[in-house]
Amino acid sequence: MANNQQAEGQRGARWRKSARGRKSARARRRTISFYLFIAPWLLGFVLLSVVPLCIGFFTSLTNYDGFDPADSKFVGLDNYTRAFSDDRMFLSLSRTLLWAAINTPLWLVVTFCMALVLNQKGIKGRGFLRTLYYVPSIVPIVGVVWIWKIILDNNFGLLNAIISIFRPGTAIPFMSQYALQSLSVIALWTGLGSGMVIFLAGLQDIPEELIEAAQIDGANALQLFRHVTLPIMTPIIFFQLVLGLISAFQQLVLPMLLAPGQEAGGWNPPRGSYLYMIHAYRQLFIYQRYGYSTALLWLLFIVIMALTLMVFRTARYWVFYEVEIEGGGQP
Amino acid sequence: MNGKTLSRRDFLRMSALTAAGTALTACARPTPEATEAPAVEEPATEAPAAEAPAPAEAANVVMMHQRNELSEDEEAQFEADYPGVTIELIEGDDNAFLARIAAGSPVDLRRTQAPAVPQFLNRELTYDLTPYFETSDVLKPDDLAPANAYYMANSPTAIGEGNIYGMCKDWSPDFTLWAFTDAFEEAGVDLPDDTTVLTYAEVADLAEKLTVFEGERIARWGYAYADGWIDRIWMSLLDEVGQSLYAEDYSSIKLTSNDDLKAMAQYFFDLASNNFVANPLNPSTSWIGDDFARGLVGVIQYGYWFGGMAESDVTAGKVVMLPAPTWSGKRLDRTITATGMFMVSKTEVPDAAWQVFEWYNGKEPAEARAASGWGVPALKSMYDLMPNETEFEQQKRRVLQDEIDLETPPMQFNPYIGAEVVAQTWNLYLEQALSGDMTLDELLATVEEEVNVAIQEGLERTE
Amino acid sequence: MTARTHTSPVAATTGRLLRRLVAYGSLALFGLLVAVPLVYFLVTSFKPMEEYLTYPPRFFPTRWRPENYEAAVTMFPYFRYAGHSLFLGLSNTILTVATSAMAGFAFARINVRARDKLFTIIIAMLIVPGIVVQIPQFIIFARLKLTGTWWPWILWGLAASPFFVFMFRQFFAGFPRELEDAAEIDGCGPFRTFWAVFIPNAKPVIATAFILNFAGVWGDYVNPFLFLKDANTTLAVKLQIGYLSPHGELLTTIVLAGAMLYVLPLVIAFFLGQRHILEGVVTSGLKG
Repeated sequence: MANNQQAEGQRGARWRKSARGRKSARARRRTISFYLFIAPWLLGFVLLSVVPLCIGFFTSLTNYDGFDPADSKFVGLDNYTRAFSDDRMFLSLSRTLLWAAINTPLWLVVTFCMALVLNQKGIKGRGFLRTLYYVPSIVPIVGVVWIWKIILDNNFGLLNAIISIFRPGTAIPFMSQYALQSLSVIALWTGLGSGMVIFLAGLQDIPEELIEAAQIDGANALQLFRHVTLPIMTPIIFFQLVLGLISAFQQLVLPMLLAPGQEAGGWNPPRGSYLYMIHAYRQLFIYQRYGYSTALLWLLFIVIMALTLMVFRTARYWVFYEVEIEGGGQP
Repeated sequence: MNGKTLSRRDFLRMSALTAAGTALTACARPTPEATEAPAVEEPATEAPAAEAPAPAEAANVVMMHQRNELSEDEEAQFEADYPGVTIELIEGDDNAFLARIAAGSPVDLRRTQAPAVPQFLNRELTYDLTPYFETSDVLKPDDLAPANAYYMANSPTAIGEGNIYGMCKDWSPDFTLWAFTDAFEEAGVDLPDDTTVLTYAEVADLAEKLTVFEGERIARWGYAYADGWIDRIWMSLLDEVGQSLYAEDYSSIKLTSNDDLKAMAQYFFDLASNNFVANPLNPSTSWIGDDFARGLVGVIQYGYWFGGMAESDVTAGKVVMLPAPTWSGKRLDRTITATGMFMVSKTEVPDAAWQVFEWYNGKEPAEARAASGWGVPALKSMYDLMPNETEFEQQKRRVLQDEIDLETPPMQFNPYIGAEVVAQTWNLYLEQALSGDMTLDELLATVEEEVNVAIQEGLERTE
Repeated sequence: MTARTHTSPVAATTGRLLRRLVAYGSLALFGLLVAVPLVYFLVTSFKPMEEYLTYPPRFFPTRWRPENYEAAVTMFPYFRYAGHSLFLGLSNTILTVATSAMAGFAFARINVRARDKLFTIIIAMLIVPGIVVQIPQFIIFARLKLTGTWWPWILWGLAASPFFVFMFRQFFAGFPRELEDAAEIDGCGPFRTFWAVFIPNAKPVIATAFILNFAGVWGDYVNPFLFLKDANTTLAVKLQIGYLSPHGELLTTIVLAGAMLYVLPLVIAFFLGQRHILEGVVTSGLKG
């Protein structure tokens, strides 16, 4: 890996030295084409996102409650300092950290392995299997929650009923005491699809010639994996890791819908699955604390951003790109 | 308005089947001044008759409501009867509602429930409809059922009489009980007679006897009540003994200093910790009404409307309605939801919106609702439309009449906080208390503290 | 460096057999675990309302109710709303994939000084929780009189998606340098290179982006709930709120029936598509 980058650097340097005259014109053309390529995104960002972001940030500095802005007042960083004396906030943050630490690696490993296996031409019925694993990710969340509630319900669930055949009267509290574990299983079930599909797409890009060459050289499956597949897949793995972390921290809908108490609106999950986003949303939807809720969300943003940047910084040690993408976009 | 709605409206116009339904464009009708002339209407107890719609300016009335409570057919019927006025239905929650106001495109009518009205009133989002009521032939103030008092007020802290800001679409005395006779038989307990009034202590006793355990699992809950409304239940019980959940000026909630309330909280806490009711540690799979319909509950506390779904294949013929229990001996049975509608103060088409309002609450849709048996009509003149044929319907109607005759006045909800604050706070921490990580006193103290913070915030924003 | 592993033919065959057993065995087991909830879902959609959850649980319905499916499509104009979802899904996806691929390519292959800083914005936008921008964006659209219309989806499509920009960037960054060099020698500018070299070799990525984005729009109910009105909303929203009796009770089995119909087109499309796009390779001794 390092060799390539060094060669790249040398090649680039030579080229730069010898073409100084053409360089500025070239560079200018490159700049223009770069901005042309990103123009739709950039325009969209400026027109549709910048103002909302500013409004969103400004709201976090007020005690706005959603009603008339004239009724609210500027409170500076009070909402942010308030978060640090909010016990429930720390509880939800620690649950979310635990959740991310368990679920993201689990999801990565499982979906990657599945993609590897289902990429083999020799597996019969793999088209069917791939589709099977994909379906849970497109079932509407309403349906997902219903089915798993039916399966995991403490007193009337399918799983407890099956266990009751061997141990009568079982009522393992999946929905209350083991809420986080149940959530894990359900999240994995629904997350299989997207994870697997992206990894599969990435596996297509491994040049057949490389594989054949390695096999001719006598590499067995494990060596093939370690020296060909894995390195080429690192950009995709990196992508999945970052996305996995972000979505783990932003998990909201599943624990919310699985929470008991329909009349209460599902905002009261058991402590096990009381994740950060739920805490933030409760502030807004129940207590009408628009400003505080937004501040909590910005705090989450900072946490995730910090983590993500850390991951980006490690990229240079294990992610193998074909081009000089040194640092992978880290500021 | 964009092209899509225009074409749909045209389509609906053409398929409308009412007697008055020739497709008329907005221009064809003369448009007099803004105040609408009262529509000539036959007495509401007759079958719906075609009436001459009041001439109105062309307007699009945006309603934030639910499609299952206002069908496309009903919309079409309205638009055929009231040429020029169109209904645009949007589903939405509080967030969407407030966002639209902030964006300068508010809705004109909004569905709501009684506990939310004081806050909307306090934040000046309601439109005073009293002049319209006074000149309407369909919605007459004397004809309004008592539950509509939730939408009348002289000030946000004086709900019950005064200006009229809205109306409920139907209502029920919400404290009645429904018994599943099989549960009683299996437990060997006598079914109370439907003229006997139980005390809550007796209900707790029934709860214990009717709960069925199989090993660690609960096979049937003895009792069920709406845990999301627990603060409303407390308020009504406290009212029996002349107390209130809040301070006089609603600036704070009093939980730990009120012995009566502590007893009531203890009551519900015990039911939960004994697993006689669904609770955070042993939740219902969907909701308790559904559980009852599947025969998994012995006695449930819901209003008259529940009778519409209480009988399923499992429970048919085995459901009996019982009068509301009492805590102290005093008999109160009020509605605590009173789902209805108000007009938004920022509407730009109040006259047209009133026409929709009047039609929805006083004409065909109201009559259909009355005949369905899913609630007591909001107009007393429609009471006779309630179903009274089958044995079950007659039994329900009988018990219901006794409850209505109690004439329980409405309750005052706190105008400084959202409708869910108290119940949601209690239910969140209840799980910890049931697991033994918090005592009941600590639970009450926590709820009190958090709710008071919320009330303070609400006060700050309105001073 | 080559290492010749000397294994006897017998050992090789048993090794292969064992590997195959393990592979198929674990696939079957895992497949079962994934499939059971789905099958239960399907079967429950045929049950009468009270039986959606019984105790003791019953796998098969006592009475089959295909009427649930009929109810699912007649309680509201199912196919009309499916059409809305289809239009929004397709238009948004085509635009998103196009604009995101372009931006992803630029971030991957065009080295410009501001690139890293701009890419940080992409990552930041991935991390910002949606609701922070949702309400202000709603207000902006409302003032432009675009709420209650389908325009937001067109505009969001044109504005690309940080998720897919990132994804394309990762994929394009892994393309061999030689491809690009060859194009440059041929005199291709960046756009020609992009169009004639990268895109044709990116079919799996594009297909993946397409199906993921489409499924996302198809399944999104948060945005249509806020931005659209009942007349032109999507199937996802109707699925959430449309199967209520006039009195507010959720008709569970009908919801399940509706949900089954709802995923069917996606499942079929995926099954047919993946065969062509994800041909796979032979990377182990499991050659069939």
